[in-house]
Amino acid sequence: MLKTETYTLNMGPQHPSTHGVLRVELELDGESIIKVKPIIGYLHRGIEKLLESRTYIQCVPYTDRLDYVSSMNNNFGFCHAVEELAKIEVPRRAEYIRVMMAELNRIASHLVFIGTLAIDLGASTGHLYAFRDREDVLDLFDLVCGARMTFHYIRIGGVARDLPMGFIEKARAFIDKLPERMAEYDDLLSGNEIFVCRLKGRSVLTKEMVLSHNMTGPNVRASGVPFDIRRVDGYSIYPELEFKVITGREGDNWDRYRVRFEEILESAKIVRQCIDGLPEGPVMAKLPAVFKPPKGEIYSRTEGTRGELGFYIVSDGTPKPYRVHIRRPSFVNMQGLNDMCAGYYIGDSVAAFSTIDPLMGEVDC
Amino acid sequence: MKHYAPPEKFTVIKEIFPDVTFDGAERQPALFVTDDKLLDLLKFLRDDDRMMYSRLENVTSVDWKTCFVMVYNLFSWENYEDITVKVKLDHEKPVVSSVTSVFPGVEFEEREIFDLMGIDFRNHPDLRRILLSDDFEGHPLRKDYQQIMPPRVRRLVKGE
Repeated sequence: MLKTETYTLNMGPQHPSTHGVLRVELELDGESIIKVKPIIGYLHRGIEKLLESRTYIQCVPYTDRLDYVSSMNNNFGFCHAVEELAKIEVPRRAEYIRVMMAELNRIASHLVFIGTLAIDLGASTGHLYAFRDREDVLDLFDLVCGARMTFHYIRIGGVARDLPMGFIEKARAFIDKLPERMAEYDDLLSGNEIFVCRLKGRSVLTKEMVLSHNMTGPNVRASGVPFDIRRVDGYSIYPELEFKVITGREGDNWDRYRVRFEEILESAKIVRQCIDGLPEGPVMAKLPAVFKPPKGEIYSRTEGTRGELGFYIVSDGTPKPYRVHIRRPSFVNMQGLNDMCAGYYIGDSVAAFSTIDPLMGEVDC
Repeated sequence: MKHYAPPEKFTVIKEIFPDVTFDGAERQPALFVTDDKLLDLLKFLRDDDRMMYSRLENVTSVDWKTCFVMVYNLFSWENYEDITVKVKLDHEKPVVSSVTSVFPGVEFEEREIFDLMGIDFRNHPDLRRILLSDDFEGHPLRKDYQQIMPPRVRRLVKGE
């Protein structure tokens, strides 16, 4: 008598394709996947609890450690929330510098995505190329704040210091050569038949699926939902800038790759507009020596590189926050992993982990 | 820009759910609802043509030492509006209905609250600890949480 049974296989937590310490329990029937269970928490540091015993100013460096590939966006999100809570007016020059930094970091983060996607699919050359360009962005950050990761450059009320001499020229040179470099990746990766076959039509997420899983960021835009907080909320100076919200159609791996690819060029456009329109003036608002926001609470969201980054802050009028909750986009996006993998083969799951683009520092918080 | 729900919406909600309370003097009042009316209210906010709050953006909880408060931040794509719903829970035995039947995308966030804040969810599809290990004791985000320190081991002195 013929009898079949399913078995489980653990991917990770030390598997090279899982981008950190993500463990995924695959339930398999032969080589096809029936169910996927992400098991997380290996990098849990209790940041939400830690923030309760720090002053608002001391909280900012902790947000660097959430999504360590795009720290500027996290700094921006937290500072934006606190400023909304305390109603601080940020100088215009600081707003321009912040948006410029956030978009440069988006470029760096999406380049990491392209690089790791390439290496997960066995194209290690693509990885080196993408990291070469990311290096240029990190050099720019090194100029402005002296660090290549965990920047702590965007502060409550503005930015830490003004742009150094020569930054504008270097940033402009980087933006100028970026389209050329992206065309190179297009030749290298997008034209590669194996790369295309691994991505097209695989791990399809329909509109209904992404909305029911509450996914955000490039993952939801790839499925054809034009949801971008930069456009929806229009916080900071985004309403004055021109940019397109990139959407895909099918919601497969290929669309998720293409959306991020195009977003790099859109971000470059935003950076160019910021450089051109950069006003003169102070870069820091005047804050009291002991910073105490009034009693109240706020839920503030910004568009991080991986989706909607929300900060829920409760203030009781003391210098320390009473409660901080961080809505981490990667964490919520992980719910879509089962729908992305079920029905496909083990090999496809590697591409799915890569295109959902989780960052374990953010998932585990 | 972000917009909060206008006062007219609150009067409509008050007509249909007379039990719902809110502080009208506040700039951005939150709707306080009891646990048994929570699912009905969220379903109404999601489906009614006047409301259309089709996105539950954020779920979290706050420990106020005498009670727990669940916070639901909703957003409407159609009207670009936000609204906040809150549920007050007993501090001794906090239990609330899971809203996964209305908004399935909050499964992980509710598990996180269960894990770190120790609030029980009724009818949750898969209620387990998510970030901490299964044998962890206590709920760290509670204000009265005391960390269990590892036992002190006396240093061995030479010759003993």
